Amino acid sequence: MPVGPRPPDVSIVGFEGPLDLLLELVEEKKLDIFTMRLGDLADEYLARVRRMAVLPADEVSAFLYIASRLVLLKARSLLPSLTPAANDEELDTEEELRLRLIEYATTKGRAEALGDRMRAGERAFHREGGTVELPPKGGDPDALAAAWLKVMALTRRTQEDVEVPGERYSVEQRTAEIEALMAERPKVTFATLLGDRPTLGYAIVTFIALLDLYRRLAIDITQDELFGEIRIERKVQRMEGLTE
Amino acid sequence: MTRSAVAAAVEAVLFVAEKPVSRAELARTIGAGAKAVGEALGELEEWYRGTGLRLQHEGDDWQIVTAPEMAPHVATYLGADRLRLSSAALETLAVVAYRQPVTRAEVESIRGVNCDQTIYTLMSRRLIAELGRREAPGSPFEYGTTWEFLECFGLASLDALPTVLSPEGVRSEDERVPSP
Repeated sequence: MPVGPRPPDVSIVGFEGPLDLLLELVEEKKLDIFTMRLGDLADEYLARVRRMAVLPADEVSAFLYIASRLVLLKARSLLPSLTPAANDEELDTEEELRLRLIEYATTKGRAEALGDRMRAGERAFHREGGTVELPPKGGDPDALAAAWLKVMALTRRTQEDVEVPGERYSVEQRTAEIEALMAERPKVTFATLLGDRPTLGYAIVTFIALLDLYRRLAIDITQDELFGEIRIERKVQRMEGLTE
Repeated sequence: MTRSAVAAAVEAVLFVAEKPVSRAELARTIGAGAKAVGEALGELEEWYRGTGLRLQHEGDDWQIVTAPEMAPHVATYLGADRLRLSSAALETLAVVAYRQPVTRAEVESIRGVNCDQTIYTLMSRRLIAELGRREAPGSPFEYGTTWEFLECFGLASLDALPTVLSPEGVRSEDERVPSP
């Protein structure tokens, strides 16, 4: 069987294929598919095939194959003495072709029934993307309450801070402050540096100051887990440098 | 009629399931016997009659879907496109649906034409799928229909495929073309 790109599967001049053409002739002539002699359709079938436009080679062969079998059946009916070649006996009987034609007629009926359903559009749908998002494990209501209290406290502070304006920090000043503090205490936490009432600005400046100190290899910064305490540690070599 | 506890449990699990759930898994999940789950599924099927939901199953895998009659509303809500297939693709689909598992050669033998393109189209729309290889010369792929097929055609199961009487009426259902 050939593989690779194929021309689009379109109906050829109104027929889906050689069996479709044969079935069409039977129906046109209102013949009984069970009793008619298929060989009688040979001439008409050939005439139809001849009138067809240019077809791809394998399509032509399929049509010609059926045509040749019709001609053979016709020849046998005209010359009853003609005996079929031994190895063709099984395949080339009229009954075999008739059964194929009946099978095809059934298929066509079924295709039409499916087509009716398709056009009616009465289809079913299932739930799409119904992934259930499970909450993370170990949820602790008390922790939630504690977090809420913290947020409330922060909000209060921010409101208070609005009443005390003019608080301005510079990174340089804050860096110097932290360095001075760490000269006495080699280990501090970020929370300690922020103090009791940090404003957003104070926190940002403190954080940038820490980043600056870290860049200058003056300190080490560690954090064990997400949202955990940030620990700041003075670097030993830096300390030695300062003492010399 | 009220729903039994097992039916309620089965319904709850199927409601959150993103894909079809087998009867065995349902039984394991809710800690009930397979027989009880089977009865519960029957109960639910009955219960859903006249509602916006249906039970759909392929073999022993079950899923809650919307009722086909409600499709216009659901499609509008989802902004879903309507399925369109050529008559050639529909013919190939019909062969696969009614004759599965079926090989490409068998489909082509029945249709009398090359079916590469239509099989590719149906596969890319996930209406049919390769089921595996047949133990036969060349180990050809066997094709069958999918869940999407049942859904797209609003069929509760393969048993619900429309019965078609052919030229000879009922007889055609018994006739079988010898395998090529």
